[in-house]
Amino acid sequence: MLRRLLSLYGLLFFVFIYAPILLVVIYSFNANTLNMMIWDGFTLDWYRQIFGMETSITQSATYVDSTDQLYAAVRTSLIVAFSTSAFSTVFGTALALAVARYRFRLAGFYRTMMMVPMIMPDIVLGIALLIFFITIGMNLSLLTIIIGQSTFLISYVFVTVSARLAEFDTSVEEASADLGATPAQTFRKVTLPGIAPGILGGWLLSFIISMDDLVITYFIAGTGNTTLPIHIWGMLRRGIKPEINAIATLMLLFTLVIAAIGLYFRSRRQK
Amino acid sequence: MPAPLEIINARKVFRTPEGGSLTALDGVSLKLATAEFVTLLGPSGCGKTTLLRTISGFETLDAGDILIDGTAVTQLPAHRRPVNTVFQRYALFNHMSVARNVGYALEIAGRDKREIRTRVGEMLELVGLTGLEKRTISQLSGGQQQRVALARALAGKPKLLLLDEPLSALDKNLRQKMQQELKALQRELGIGFVFVTHDQEEALTMSDRIAVLAHGQIQQIGAPSQLYQSPANLFTADFLGESNLLPVALDGQSARIGDGQGFAAARPAGAATLLLRPEALGLARPQGPALSFTGVIRETYYTGKDHQVALETPAFGTLHALLRSGSTPLDLGAELTLHAPADDLHLIDEVAP
Ligand SMILES: Nc1ncnc2c1ncn2[C@@H]1O[C@H](COP(=O)(O)OP(=O)(O)OP(=O)(O)O)[C@@H](O)[C@H]1O
Ligand SMILES: [Mg+2]
Repeated sequence: MLRRLLSLYGLLFFVFIYAPILLVVIYSFNANTLNMMIWDGFTLDWYRQIFGMETSITQSATYVDSTDQLYAAVRTSLIVAFSTSAFSTVFGTALALAVARYRFRLAGFYRTMMMVPMIMPDIVLGIALLIFFITIGMNLSLLTIIIGQSTFLISYVFVTVSARLAEFDTSVEEASADLGATPAQTFRKVTLPGIAPGILGGWLLSFIISMDDLVITYFIAGTGNTTLPIHIWGMLRRGIKPEINAIATLMLLFTLVIAAIGLYFRSRRQK
Repeated sequence: MPAPLEIINARKVFRTPEGGSLTALDGVSLKLATAEFVTLLGPSGCGKTTLLRTISGFETLDAGDILIDGTAVTQLPAHRRPVNTVFQRYALFNHMSVARNVGYALEIAGRDKREIRTRVGEMLELVGLTGLEKRTISQLSGGQQQRVALARALAGKPKLLLLDEPLSALDKNLRQKMQQELKALQRELGIGFVFVTHDQEEALTMSDRIAVLAHGQIQQIGAPSQLYQSPANLFTADFLGESNLLPVALDGQSARIGDGQGFAAARPAGAATLLLRPEALGLARPQGPALSFTGVIRETYYTGKDHQVALETPAFGTLHALLRSGSTPLDLGAELTLHAPADDLHLIDEVAP
């Protein structure tokens, strides 16, 4: 009886989490142009619309957002995501190594401080960054987005790599040195391959988070730099349009692909 | 030819996290002869691993010097010292094949591929793992991993091989097999081995010399039989093998034990301790002078070829004896007299507390 109840509870829980997402995916294929809550047949028009292709949708149903703007937003988001994730991965990994390997005063303090950006409310971080950039006289630009996002994405990489380092047996580094490898050789041939899954995980995580960050980015983006989440947010403010479902579905797909890549590499390592 | 290893008055003090300091090595000196197999033996925490790590360069000495093959290496970092180590838990590179593990030292030294492949083949043949080049480490048994660790440490032709309890993770049978193989290998290669263990049997069977360590100091160093038969102090006597220790009084010419029996001992007058190994006690009365002990049998164990007997004597408490199986019945509670020939007695100039 209890088992039944528990499995029912589990089922409800999953419905609760995934139903809204599933709806978005279903709606993205709904041909009904007026009310997307009512199923009116299958169509790929919303996807065609995003990519600026010919559609059968009558003018009254389409909206004024141009495909070019959307493309520009995707491009901006990708540039930002590649830059921040690369930057955060390098620095987050270096920090994790420093804290794990060198015993220095306040190491515990640094470790805690690295966690803070992750739990800091986004709004606070956004405002703080905005004020900071204005104070030092930096014009809001792509660069400010990249710097701003990196400040908290480094934390995510730090945590992921630290977890990997914690289970990494340092005696293999000693073995490497014992066999004549310089510290640099040991790092390249032993340490790096050992923590690679953590680094890859941190990189993918920071990439995904960067791609969908809205709140913080919104504060520090300025006017000329619209990332994809900001663009969607703009579209939403002018009403919920069916293309948004299609965009959301594509983003979901993109994220799943990245996560799958991560899992694939992870399982390959553990073999 | 210079000694493969010479340690001169090594001192190492650790600062402990509790705020104190701990002397792990307290003036250790040791010199290896060419192609010698020396074992560091001692109880847990006596500084064996620390001594090994100062030789390989993972710990720096606070005082003293280390020479490898006649060259001082005290200031050199680990990767520039011509020694290799077989680590206790092997520390193999899990992300590399067996062949790359074994060839690692040569890869680092920048040797060409063909030379590395040949040498790896030789090393694997040496340790009996031919044909397993392409395996990953997780596809090997514990014993095979142990051999890979050995092959990896030997591939770079070190002047000296350090082994930190390399056999402790193996089961008893495999362990005995590896002991013999290691010893044979060491003879064949003709390089110095410094071997760490806290298993005294292992130390006795494998070593040319044993250094008994306690409290960061070498208590005694010598051939296994010398250490066993004539230990210099109570610690060594007690640590190696089983022993009966009896207080004796010396008067200059002879020694006298508690019940009044005496034997000749030309030593300065004073107090000392008599070491009586269980094998020294026998059922038959020997020809020459001997000590005799009469008591009641409290325990007997049959070990396959000998009887271990615990004899309770009025004057000395329980004595342990190892008796050849014979016609004499060894019944619990029966009275028995054992004899120890004076030649098998060894005196230690220390008084048991
Ligand atoms: N890095 C360190 N910091 C502080 N104390 C240490 C450190 N390394 C070892 N010690 C201490 O030094 C002493 C000797 O340690 P060591 O590891 O050499 O012992 P061991 O003889 O190898 O023992 P075992 O047989 O248990 O391996 C121990 O008391 C240990 O607690
Ligand atoms: Mg040890």
